[in-house]
Amino acid sequence: MNRGRYLRRRIRSGIFLGLSVGATLFGLGWLGVILGTLLYEGFSGIDLAMFTESTPPPGAMGGLLNAIFGSLMMGTIAVAVGTPIGLLAGTYLAEYGRYTRLAFFLRFVNDILLSAPSIVLGLFIYDVMVLPMGHFSAFAGAAALTVIVIPVVVRTTENMLLLIPNTLREAAIALGATRSHVIRRVTWRAAQAGIVTGALLAVARISGETAPLLFTSLNNQFWSVNPNEPMASLPVAIFQMAMSPYEDWHRLAWSGALLITMAVLALSITARVLESPQERR
Amino acid sequence: MTMAGNAHDSVKVAIKNLNFYYGAHRALKDISLPILRNKVTAIIGPSGCGKSTLLRVLNRIYEIYPHQRAEGEVMLDGEDILSRKQDLNMLRAKVGMVFQKPTPFPMTIFDNIAFGINLYEGLSRAEMAERVETALRRAALWDEVKDKLNQSGMSLSGGQQQRLCIARSVATKPELILMDEPCSALDPISTAKIEELISELSNDYTIALVTHNMQQASRVSDHTAFMFLGELVEFGETEKIFTTPTNRRTEDYITGRFG
Repeated sequence: MNRGRYLRRRIRSGIFLGLSVGATLFGLGWLGVILGTLLYEGFSGIDLAMFTESTPPPGAMGGLLNAIFGSLMMGTIAVAVGTPIGLLAGTYLAEYGRYTRLAFFLRFVNDILLSAPSIVLGLFIYDVMVLPMGHFSAFAGAAALTVIVIPVVVRTTENMLLLIPNTLREAAIALGATRSHVIRRVTWRAAQAGIVTGALLAVARISGETAPLLFTSLNNQFWSVNPNEPMASLPVAIFQMAMSPYEDWHRLAWSGALLITMAVLALSITARVLESPQERR
Repeated sequence: MTMAGNAHDSVKVAIKNLNFYYGAHRALKDISLPILRNKVTAIIGPSGCGKSTLLRVLNRIYEIYPHQRAEGEVMLDGEDILSRKQDLNMLRAKVGMVFQKPTPFPMTIFDNIAFGINLYEGLSRAEMAERVETALRRAALWDEVKDKLNQSGMSLSGGQQQRLCIARSVATKPELILMDEPCSALDPISTAKIEELISELSNDYTIALVTHNMQQASRVSDHTAFMFLGELVEFGETEKIFTTPTNRRTEDYITGRFG
């Protein structure tokens, strides 16, 4: 036995481990700094007015109520429309079309859509909705967000369904069940946690999107529930206030940023908990 | 090839000149074989000889994958199930299947059994409860699960899951049950239970059993078919196959000289 060779391997292994841990700490460190800064800058600004008053006119103070409502409304519409479409499309890819050319093509297109810059999607909706309608609106904003939701849900749904072993499908089909019955009663149920996770991740993804909303829902300084009018949203409100020269607007922007981050963090944690292998139920 | 089997045993499935292709690869070569009513027919042979493929033709489960096709004739009670006119879901309702690994559905024990019944019968709540109980009793699982019918089927042990799958198959009252190495993932105690079950089920059902385990074939089956490289080498009464096989390759395989 050659101890020298073994020692060299031990040393190389140690160096490799050290580099890996270092890289991880470097990445996590920035996340810590970001969260820390947000908490430091944003926490003090969180007060009741933030949730009860609309965004302020120049020179005055206010809250974020209209922006919070706008984000919730457009996000809800986007998820309500995008999730069923994404779910069905992902199901087609994984269950019906798995081996077909059409599915291969759709998968490719979906991957492009998934990685398309969101500002391009915003411009697209601007062109097909805002221009023909003649004005910015929450509908257009929701449409832009929907286009972001769909590919995320398609991808996660397909991946989760592909994880379901074929023997489970065969077992149900072998009982004489039709394909759609098997999908609805067995495979969807088996992939449930993963599919819900996909929808949650889509929500997390759109809640921070700013660029596509700039071209579509624009912003609205006042309280508005009419989806056919321009509407405020948290990301756009933050953008606008952070760019302003006023100190108190900056503080409000930090608080809004903290709010979004915490909401997304909560969603991500929920998604992780759902996704983690569950004890036998 | 020898064709044994008593003349008065009626034939449930008559396989004639069956060829099977995975794309260009021919996995079954001119198989002709009877499966007799209310008997257990074991199909043995080394890995890759086509035993599972043969089983998968009998309910045409292979149809869910592209590039797989069967040619020839498979008569189930006088009707060719390979015909284009055959409705696949109806065929599968008549032909049950138990797989190598237990495949409980992600639902309660009760619903696992009710799933198949609900497909073709509309039963009242009480009737359904009775059917579920009967099926679980037949699979010798009732006593172990009667207090937790509302728990997930996934919560059972491997052996219990496999008996649940057998109960699920039996519950729909199929005419033919296909078992693809049903004990290969189980411990000896669960295996013994399932073998006992197979013998008992053969009073009412026709069973085709693929197995790697030759002791199992000799213990539970009435007839045995030995396959090798996609061909049927020998078919006959189990006792005869295991004591005085006529083919040299059968003898080599069952005595452990190869395979």
